[in-house]
Amino acid sequence: MTDVTITVNGSVRSASVPPETTLLKLLRDVFQLTGTKLGCDVGDCGACTVLVDGMAVNACLMLAAQADGRQVLTIEGLAMKDRLHPLQKVFEESGALQCGFCGPGMLLSAKALLDDNPDPSSHDIRDALAGNLCRCTGYSKIVEAVQDAARAMRDPRTEDTRQLEMHGHD
Amino acid sequence: MKRRGRGIACMWYPIGFTVDANPSAAVVKVNEDGTATVLTGTVETGQGSLTVLGQIAAEALGIAADDVHVVSADTDVTPMDTGAIASRTTYVTGNAIRLAAENAKAILFETAGPMLQVMPSQLEARDRKIQVKGFPQRSVSIGEVAKRAQVGLGRPPIGSASWNPPTVAMDPETGQGKPFSTYVYATQIAEVEVDDETGEVDVLRIVASHDCGTPINPMLVEGQVEGGISMGIGFALQEEMLFNAQGCQINPNLTNYIMPTSLDMPEIVVDIVENYDPTGPFGAKGVGEPSLVPTAAAILNAIHDAVGVRITSLPATSEKILTAIKAKRAGERKQVPA
Repeated sequence: MTDVTITVNGSVRSASVPPETTLLKLLRDVFQLTGTKLGCDVGDCGACTVLVDGMAVNACLMLAAQADGRQVLTIEGLAMKDRLHPLQKVFEESGALQCGFCGPGMLLSAKALLDDNPDPSSHDIRDALAGNLCRCTGYSKIVEAVQDAARAMRDPRTEDTRQLEMHGHD
Repeated sequence: MKRRGRGIACMWYPIGFTVDANPSAAVVKVNEDGTATVLTGTVETGQGSLTVLGQIAAEALGIAADDVHVVSADTDVTPMDTGAIASRTTYVTGNAIRLAAENAKAILFETAGPMLQVMPSQLEARDRKIQVKGFPQRSVSIGEVAKRAQVGLGRPPIGSASWNPPTVAMDPETGQGKPFSTYVYATQIAEVEVDDETGEVDVLRIVASHDCGTPINPMLVEGQVEGGISMGIGFALQEEMLFNAQGCQINPNLTNYIMPTSLDMPEIVVDIVENYDPTGPFGAKGVGEPSLVPTAAAILNAIHDAVGVRITSLPATSEKILTAIKAKRAGERKQVPA
């Protein structure tokens, strides 16, 4: 057995797992963080994307032991206590997801991009999300949503204005 | 060198099969706080059908979509529905929900008539109120009417209905008849760039014009069309199940069964052609499956426009296109007199 201690969504958590345990298995089966999805389990689909020290990785391709001592962010840790992350908010409002299975991975890949590049071009976004497969949406609304979220995160006032535009006539 | 071409393809697609029974049933309950609850047996798979069905109930009852709570796909409690299949949900289930809501509304009108001292036929449901047609200031809130119906009249405002596109058997001799209740239409145009030295195709832009009747939720219609186009692009250029001699699939995973990624997707322009189908709920038909029908044909026509070769088997891989280009060139050389 291997002892692993990682900081998941801000909390320090430890487990003793067989050495072949992947980070994905640790998150889902041991820590019960099932927001991270098991898709192909061989690194093709990106549904299991999480951030490790801020970098987007396929949790199915990383051993739990390799994450020892590192910071892991999963979809459960993306929202603040009282409000959604701007990416989640825009994804929800714009119908960017359909069945939603790719959503957790898509959102975390997008977060890694925006943390690194707050003003990405459409091609930058497509490039950053190329490892996250989506069978429903054709990616159009996802790419637009990331652009909208980037705009909102660069200038919080823009987000307020957009909110007014969207909800001002209710 | 890279050559550009444009191709166009049209399609129609049937909505609401009629060769067999194809029913949907629904229950709509108006609550004393002015909200409504819809029970439907259909299932949401991400396309947004429950949103659309809630909008249909809200429109029929004169309340907001947010006032409607949709309970779906629990076979213990929800009424029978043929299923989220055949692009039928908005059309068939939507009609059942509209009728169920109308039945609940009839009880509200019968209750509100004496309250407003008019005949029920003179009433309409709008802005969360039951009001006299032409005199919107004479009104009473739907919640209040619902409560009066329950505790005053003893008739809770609950409506149930089922809708089945009229079943018409095929002629056993000719196999002909009226197999579907209605049809949707679409045209898509693809612009591609083909490298005539490698056969590689880049889809640059797809413009998709779709008639789905009344688009009850245009954002969701766009989502369906964009998603369908990505499937159509995979069908046209990438996706193929390969089998060995024993019939086992040799590419059963995403490493070698290649589907479009975000980088494979072109600019997509969705053009919703508004139409009204009198047999659909508020004029709506459907949009799911039809969205990908013309995509591959438009792309293959665009490839022909770009490099002059007809590819007749899918997917149109670079190998197939390059082989066709070489064959075409060899044919052209032969025709040159020696």
